[in-house]
Amino acid sequence: MELNEIIQPENLVYAKPRLMNNNAMHYCPGCSHGVIHKLIAEVVEEMGLEEKAIGISPVGCAVFAYNYIDIDWVEAAHGRAPAIATAIRRLNPDKLVFTYQGDGDLAAIGTAETIHAANRGENIVIIFVNNAIYGMTGGQMAPTTLEGMVTSTTPYGRDVQLNGYPLKISNLLAQLEGTCLVTRQSVHTPAAVRKAKKMLKKAFENALAGKGTSVVEFVSTCSSGWKMTPVQANQWLEKHMFPFYPLGDLKNVESSTTSNK
Amino acid sequence: MAEEVLLMKGNEAIARAAIRYGVDGYFGYPITPQSEVLETLMAEMPWKTTGMVVLQAESELAAINMVYGGAATGKRVMTSSSSPGVSLKQEGISYMAGAELPCLIINVMRGGPGLGTIQPSQADYFQTVKGGGHGDYKLIALAPSSVQEMADFVGLGFDLAFKYNNPAILLADGIIGQMMEKVVLPDFQPRRTDEEIITQCPWAARGRQKGRKPNIVTSLELDPAAMEKRNLHLQAKYRQIEAEEVRYETFNTEDADYLFVAFGSSARICQKAVELARAEGLRVGLLRPITLWPFPTKAIAALAEQVKGILSVELNAGQMVEDVRLAVEGKTKVAHFGRIGGIVFTPDEVLQALKHQLIEQQILHV
Repeated sequence: MELNEIIQPENLVYAKPRLMNNNAMHYCPGCSHGVIHKLIAEVVEEMGLEEKAIGISPVGCAVFAYNYIDIDWVEAAHGRAPAIATAIRRLNPDKLVFTYQGDGDLAAIGTAETIHAANRGENIVIIFVNNAIYGMTGGQMAPTTLEGMVTSTTPYGRDVQLNGYPLKISNLLAQLEGTCLVTRQSVHTPAAVRKAKKMLKKAFENALAGKGTSVVEFVSTCSSGWKMTPVQANQWLEKHMFPFYPLGDLKNVESSTTSNK
Repeated sequence: MAEEVLLMKGNEAIARAAIRYGVDGYFGYPITPQSEVLETLMAEMPWKTTGMVVLQAESELAAINMVYGGAATGKRVMTSSSSPGVSLKQEGISYMAGAELPCLIINVMRGGPGLGTIQPSQADYFQTVKGGGHGDYKLIALAPSSVQEMADFVGLGFDLAFKYNNPAILLADGIIGQMMEKVVLPDFQPRRTDEEIITQCPWAARGRQKGRKPNIVTSLELDPAAMEKRNLHLQAKYRQIEAEEVRYETFNTEDADYLFVAFGSSARICQKAVELARAEGLRVGLLRPITLWPFPTKAIAALAEQVKGILSVELNAGQMVEDVRLAVEGKTKVAHFGRIGGIVFTPDEVLQALKHQLIEQQILHV
């Protein structure tokens, strides 16, 4: 019996998005990246943007995002994705251009590119995965690492006297005239995934409509870097990350809830 | 209709030639002595005529990465800067060489190291032809020696960049950038259509058209065997460029006993030094490399069989002279003369250097 004979359309409740290919992911069990990738594939597919979407992958764990989602991609140098996206969108105004960046990429080495792209109101989507650690290089301190959090370069916990404070960069971005949507989401529960997808779709719509820069921050887990099981990481996320990085819209000009204009 | 002869600065000629050549985008950051490129483009507002995008970036780093992004979609994109700014661009240049992206970079050199001076220099020769950024890569390097060539090499640079899917660099200096000369600008040509870009750049990331695989622009390859293969491909391309794209100019070399090798504004000064030498009865000639990479190795090697000595004349402490020596392979005496830190030599100084370093030395040794 073939698989498609077993799965009758009326019984199908979930299918992998068509744009997600069958390459085995390099992400660790419990990592948020896989779910966020799936959301991107779903949104691009549902909005019919396969021929318009151009993704910019970062340096960090998501450097290989292009191996999993079958759209056109440009791989950026560390932190430079918003500059690359700026030119792609300006030179190809009919395209849907998004960056996919981690906390080190976006809020440390690429701070200038991020702030200036957002301040120019580039019609791009910035997908920001904040797991408070450098995953790919083996768990070093990130700009968003919480106070007291142990990483391989803060082995006794982040000391703000030594390392400065965790950076709430989305709050900064929400202050800029060029951003139209800055929202903080997570993918640690099915309900959170559904809500995050809705905001991702909204961000893509904004970019297509030329409303300015949309930033979707995903407060995420890194179970390997945090040295936890996936379940522990989800619990730690709720207990420690959410109080410092509370979920919700920091700015959404259409709903005009927290617009600073 | 007769050609229109205009008078303008080298930097302005670059900007105006870019608009006429159908360039899609320029991304830059102000730095002396090349700011007129961005200023001219902003004043001309080509987005209203040809549709060319012009953007002042937040840094040279951002500007070169904007070029990377534009080039990744198959567009004709360029940036310009001067020495300290070009140092900042090296990251993006290495990435573009690795990802095989065509683009045009302009360096209007000033004296270094560090913040240095705003006066002209040719001290970025090594940076330009020996790498600059990390990894085994080469840039197609053109050295203009007049305002006319500033205008002409914009098109030539793009043509070579797209022929080989490789960044091209125009290595000028503060003299060529700032001085005003007569120039005939290239004819207007429209920017390429999307269809033309897709045909010319089937690898470009422009949104995945139905029926094709995703286009992925990257320089990353973690598997060392695959990375070696990628590098070997680049090296094969570089050998082809070396075989086919060498450009140089000679002046009074037919009967020359001594030879100047000089590029850019130094070559202009050497041309006058040749005239002064000839007036004194000294048979001196000049070879001017137009492509600094690929270097005119064979032409210099051939002249080495003929002349009694070669003087490499550069506005630096002795950089191109190393490539001249490699070309000559000991067949004749090679010396270097330069002024550094933004000082420019006179034709007479160059002639005295030739006499002192090569001719008188030879007499002493006899």
